[in-house]
Amino acid sequence: MTEHVTDDLEPYALGALSAEDAERIAAHLAACPACREDARSLAEVVGTLPDTVPSRAPRDVLRDRILAAARGDVPADTRPAAAWRIPFGRVRAWPIAIAGLASVAVLLAVIDVDASRRLAQATAEKDRWAAIADSVSEGGRWWYMAGKDELDGAGGTLIVPRAEGHGPFVLFHDLPKLSGKLLTVWLVSSDNTWVRAATFRPNGQGLQAVDVTVPVAGFDRCAVTLETAWTGPHTGTVVMESRIAPPPAN
Amino acid sequence: MAELHPSDDALMASLADRDLGALASLYDRYGRLAYSLAYRILGESEAAEDVVQDAFLSAWRGAASYRRERGNPRAWLLSIVHHRAVDLLRRKTTFRPAPLEAAELSPADDDTAELAEKNVEHKTVRDALEALPPAQRRTIELAYFGGYTHVELSELMGVPLGTVKGRMRIGLQKMRRALEHTR
Repeated sequence: MTEHVTDDLEPYALGALSAEDAERIAAHLAACPACREDARSLAEVVGTLPDTVPSRAPRDVLRDRILAAARGDVPADTRPAAAWRIPFGRVRAWPIAIAGLASVAVLLAVIDVDASRRLAQATAEKDRWAAIADSVSEGGRWWYMAGKDELDGAGGTLIVPRAEGHGPFVLFHDLPKLSGKLLTVWLVSSDNTWVRAATFRPNGQGLQAVDVTVPVAGFDRCAVTLETAWTGPHTGTVVMESRIAPPPAN
Repeated sequence: MAELHPSDDALMASLADRDLGALASLYDRYGRLAYSLAYRILGESEAAEDVVQDAFLSAWRGAASYRRERGNPRAWLLSIVHHRAVDLLRRKTTFRPAPLEAAELSPADDDTAELAEKNVEHKTVRDALEALPPAQRRTIELAYFGGYTHVELSELMGVPLGTVKGRMRIGLQKMRRALEHTR
């Protein structure tokens, strides 16, 4: 065993060592119960230092951001798709729901028809699509975003259910697995402020639902970008987008 | 029936089971403190929020590998926040808030009666820190909140490295004794 590191335990506990020195101390602690006990005791004292900080409240939206990001981060094999978890109530037989969906598409006249058809084709086999279509046909709002560039052939539908208590979500289809990259859903205001609404890793399945916890109202545009970080401003390429604000009144 | 106020350890166990409700509870319990710490280190709200988000997501992903011997959940979570914030601060080469001054210029906001009990505990720690001789207190604050390494502190304060380590050691020993005395 190497020599005890008593001399460096205080700066280690305070986080005041270089990364290299900290790694050296950590390696020693892993093998030395005596130093480990000293380090634990020091960590207890250092752990009280946050209590000396003036208390400040973060913005309420931070909680939503964290939960939305965590929700999108659940491994594919353990996560029920968000859309399926939303208790939409009565679910009609899917052909009826698809018909209802088509009528809403015509009424809203904001849907890319070809993309909508591709979405329907990609998901028609899914019985559960009926639940989403049902919510839309009962007055929910939705906007389809066709994928481009790296996401050509994929797409996403931002859905705002009418039913009270059900938050907006994006139903993506045909997302490829993106090595080392994440997808971020942004809501963009008229003054070009980008608000991160969800960040997730595509699970490679045919459909993937991602909750959007930021209220959609007041934003002009929804965009999806390829990113490499879970936080921070948008830097990546826009791979999907749609205007979501109502057209200005004449 | 689910516990009304599960312990931190119970929350960590639920977190390891990918329970989003546990993450929400953990945030409700420590989000404010985590943000306060990050803000104190970074002096900037947006960066502090990013650090807190990063830390909670790290806890979410790492809960399964959490071991109690590393420290209690609160200490573990705050150590992640501290590590991320200091790491970010060190990458910002142009700006480091002076910790003492930053504290004086950042009075607590919206402290309410419901926080009174916590504030008493916090006051005990603040008193213990403030009771230290200025050189020891400043060394500890610059290291912990300012993100300075002990080598940088030696240069900054114009004292030998051994003196910096000595101030840290004696200062933390005094704090420990003061806190033990009041518990």
